[in-house]
Amino acid sequence: MDDKKKKRRRPDPSSDEETRLPFKNRLKPDSVILESLRDLLNTSSSSASTSKTLTLADLALASTCREVNELSLPSVESAIESLILKIARSILDGHGFSFDVPSRSAANQLYVPELDRIVLKDKTSLRPYANISTVRKSTITTRILQLIHQLCAKSIHVTKRDLFYTDVKLFQDQTQSDSVLDDVSCMLGCTRSSLNVIAAEKGVVVGRLIFSDNGDMIDCTKMGMGGKAIPPNIDRVGDMQSDALFILLVEKDAAYIRLAEDRFYNRFPCIIVTAKGQPDVATRLFLRKMKMELKLPVLALVDSDPYGLKILSVYGCGSKNMSYDSANLTTPDIKWLGIRPSDLDKYKIPEQCRLPMTEQDIKTGKDLLEEDFVKKNPGWVEELTLMVKTKQKAEIQALSTFGFQYLSEVYLPLKLQQRDWL
Amino acid sequence: METTGGSSESPPDPKKGKSKTPRKAKESVLKQKSPAEFFAENKHIAGFDNPGKCLYTTVRELVENSLDSAESISELPVVEVTIEEIGKSKYNSMIGLVDRERVDEALYDDYETAKAREKRLSKQARAQEIQTKNASLGKKVKEPPVSKGMKGRAEASFYKVTCKDNGRGMPHDDIPNMFGRVLSGTKYGLKQTRGKFGLGAKMALIWSKMSTGLPIEILSSMKGQNYVSFCRLDIDIHRNIPHIHVHEKRDSKVRWHGAEIQVVIEGNWTTYRSKILHYMRQIAVITPYAQFLFKFVSDVPEYVSLSLPKTITDAHNCLHLFGFYLPCCFLCRKNVTIRFARRTDVMPPVPLETKHHPSSVDLLLIKRLITETSKQNLLQFLQHEFVNIPKSYAERLIGEMGPEFSPKMAAKSLTSQQIVRIHQLFRQAKFDDPSGDCLSPAGEYNLRLGIIKELHPDIVATYSGSAQVFEGHPFIVEAGVSVGGKDVKHGLNIFRFANRIPLLFEQGADVVTRTALKRINWSSYKINHTQDKIGVFVSVVSTKIPFKGTGKEYIGDDISEIATAVKSAIQQCCIQLKSKIMKKMQAREQQERKRNLNRYIPDATGAVYDVLKDMAQSHVSKKKRYDDEDAELLKKVSSRLITKETLREKLAQHVEQVDYEMALEYATQSGVSEEPREAMYIQSLEAENKFIDLHSPIFVFRLFQ
Repeated sequence: MDDKKKKRRRPDPSSDEETRLPFKNRLKPDSVILESLRDLLNTSSSSASTSKTLTLADLALASTCREVNELSLPSVESAIESLILKIARSILDGHGFSFDVPSRSAANQLYVPELDRIVLKDKTSLRPYANISTVRKSTITTRILQLIHQLCAKSIHVTKRDLFYTDVKLFQDQTQSDSVLDDVSCMLGCTRSSLNVIAAEKGVVVGRLIFSDNGDMIDCTKMGMGGKAIPPNIDRVGDMQSDALFILLVEKDAAYIRLAEDRFYNRFPCIIVTAKGQPDVATRLFLRKMKMELKLPVLALVDSDPYGLKILSVYGCGSKNMSYDSANLTTPDIKWLGIRPSDLDKYKIPEQCRLPMTEQDIKTGKDLLEEDFVKKNPGWVEELTLMVKTKQKAEIQALSTFGFQYLSEVYLPLKLQQRDWL
Repeated sequence: METTGGSSESPPDPKKGKSKTPRKAKESVLKQKSPAEFFAENKHIAGFDNPGKCLYTTVRELVENSLDSAESISELPVVEVTIEEIGKSKYNSMIGLVDRERVDEALYDDYETAKAREKRLSKQARAQEIQTKNASLGKKVKEPPVSKGMKGRAEASFYKVTCKDNGRGMPHDDIPNMFGRVLSGTKYGLKQTRGKFGLGAKMALIWSKMSTGLPIEILSSMKGQNYVSFCRLDIDIHRNIPHIHVHEKRDSKVRWHGAEIQVVIEGNWTTYRSKILHYMRQIAVITPYAQFLFKFVSDVPEYVSLSLPKTITDAHNCLHLFGFYLPCCFLCRKNVTIRFARRTDVMPPVPLETKHHPSSVDLLLIKRLITETSKQNLLQFLQHEFVNIPKSYAERLIGEMGPEFSPKMAAKSLTSQQIVRIHQLFRQAKFDDPSGDCLSPAGEYNLRLGIIKELHPDIVATYSGSAQVFEGHPFIVEAGVSVGGKDVKHGLNIFRFANRIPLLFEQGADVVTRTALKRINWSSYKINHTQDKIGVFVSVVSTKIPFKGTGKEYIGDDISEIATAVKSAIQQCCIQLKSKIMKKMQAREQQERKRNLNRYIPDATGAVYDVLKDMAQSHVSKKKRYDDEDAELLKKVSSRLITKETLREKLAQHVEQVDYEMALEYATQSGVSEEPREAMYIQSLEAENKFIDLHSPIFVFRLFQ
């Protein structure tokens, strides 16, 4: 059926076709492209097998760093209990109480080039109850501790939203309970998923992947157009199998739908993942798990603007907010496939589809140039410098000027054929 | 209202046309227009757009002339403005017209057809409904406005505007020309003045001639004159010369100097009431050393409004009620008397007349200066007719001009080409910036007083910038920012002044509005620009204010020099405020700390206790083992020796103790220092001037007699 469609779409490659879909004639047969992808897979899997993944402990870093581990429910429970006992004793002695919360501020972050990710340094801040500026936060912290203690005792999962609604009056808005939740997991030294609190599903996956979710086998080629929502609790995901050659990471839902509908993964065996913007924890965990278990190369398709690169960095090196758990959340060695600033001219994207960068964009771009994770990749520095210099950005959808299917029919195959990734 | 506005513009035209065309048509179609004619046809240029605006602008021009006049002789100004409404029959009797009853009702524009009547009645019923609804909701609203039939819509309303001051007065013989000739004036020099073009009072006269046909009346007396000049005149618009009815000297009974001008014009009080009152209020802000008395006398019998409770008449505003003005609503036309008392006797120095800066002159101006100069040679001319050209510099300039120029050559012998060369050099050469000495800013003190007087803010900060230059004209920006106060709207309240006159129209495009709204990050100064009551006062003074548009109504946002100066002046004020606001917040925090700390005790202890209880239960049921110390605590919990209450009390005790310690610390830190006391001005009972002020840009010399 897939073949039939293709035939209908291009009856004869005439010159008229060329003006409409530029560069189409440069495409070689799919078999050639597949060959290049196989090469990529071999090099990446061989490099993955030779180099053992480093951990923080392997490095003799000057400053001590904080990392969290996956903890079992009973150990989370007893950690909370001992903390609460300490507090209760302190209150009874008439000293009030206070928490010693690891600081998650930007000043307390460290990029470790050897690991290629951000880690948290060991600075902590005191959160006493009897202080006007911290009284709210320390109260919320006790409340969250109590709620998680309940979850542990009952051994159930709730979403962040659920947690917020248990005491709306105290938490006021969800950002407050969310940020304290991160503080708590950091304080207890466990990952956020060990607290049995999950975020709502956001990411989706489609393509040549079979895995088990809570015991059910899922075939991602048979999930319809929308794909399979990435399950929030990664600990119930297992048995990953795939015949894909690479993983395609897509920033946006629109591009994802295009690729899913065109069944791009059947033409070039791949797994397509998107988190619809900034990635959530579940998607990042899932991507890492895929990468680690299947040993596939990861190619990223993001907007050609500073935020696209930022999203890329979150997948690759972790976010500052959750750097305490960067070991589990980051996926090393993500290749920047497109859309890169140099592509704008290379693929002759018309002027009217490019957008001028705002002051804010340019500032973000310049700030990014200072970031270590960009600096370590000279190709990225070059691209970003070009972007800041031309002051132009473009979204993935800019390619739609040549037709909605230009992305899946021409752009991506050509990129893959030319091995044009950084 | 609008129909009369339109028709009032036309009368001069046909008249003129008839008188002119028969004689001149054969000779040539070329016609000349007198300045008065031009302004009569384009009266919007001077701010006379419609009857309402005309009334406003008339008041404004007269008040500003009065202030200029009083300040020019260093007299503390006392200005009395009266607007007297003149009913139709009174107006007719003034012009000697007999009241005529309508015979053919349907002839009139405001004739009400049966359909229209139905519509109006239903509308009235609706309005009444709203009234009763509001009243039933307990809102303090007034009774339905008494509409007197259909009177008013197309009917013009007339006002007698009187403005009396204690200024210089005018020389007896100059009076006709000062009022009856457009574009003649005493303020043409390069000097910071309120008026500029010699247009204001004359425009009022032209408007009165256009709308009522009644002449202007002037009473004037100068210091040392034992008589009062009285003059009644109107203007011959076609020839731009005064047409004198009466011009005489009268015996003066009281020692008075100043002028009193009375003009009868068509206007619209109901729609421009708030603008006029705002204007008076703001001019009082920027000139706190002046005393104003403003009166509006309605022709509605006083007893009608007096019979209503004061709260109703005060709160009344048809615009708020119905979304439009009812011209006939007597409440909108109730009598108003407002006195703006003097708050200080410190007057800013009189602005000095200055010479042109070489970078601001154009070809024509250079030519004019050459014809007017008394200096013989080029060197002296350059040295004395411009600022910032010292002798040595003049010599260098002449050397640079070329071989055909010499210092000794006669200035008047310069050819047009040579003048162009001078102009070019003036454009390119570097000159020192003009100093701000010739300017007379309101002064931080006056600005501050004005703000305090009018807004009664909680805190206020003022800042006076140094003189800066735009196109060869020096300017000074002063700003005041206040927070809080009575009768102040939430959010930004912007007050703009240019050469010490308030600007009320075209607020949106003004540089001050734009700056305050877009370029100031209020939150960084701990000011909430949507919630707090913020007053922003910016006063710009200059020898030439770069007004945008036709009227003197706003300063454009495109002049970066002024925009930057305004921004930094406002920021300076905000920086001053920030520390005060921080202190206040700290003090408030002190008061509220205990309450805030106690508020969270139940939540915190409740959470801790719940966990303890759960633990105690699993301890009892032997699900889990705990250390001895912990086990003991949990036993106490299960035996209810430790309850939620225990925790709560203990934490409350701790809060109490911490609060006490912090209060003590705050007290020792801040000490007993209070805000510095501010000097208060008390008006002297006998305001007799027994001194002479000698003004200089830097100081004032006061000679007590």
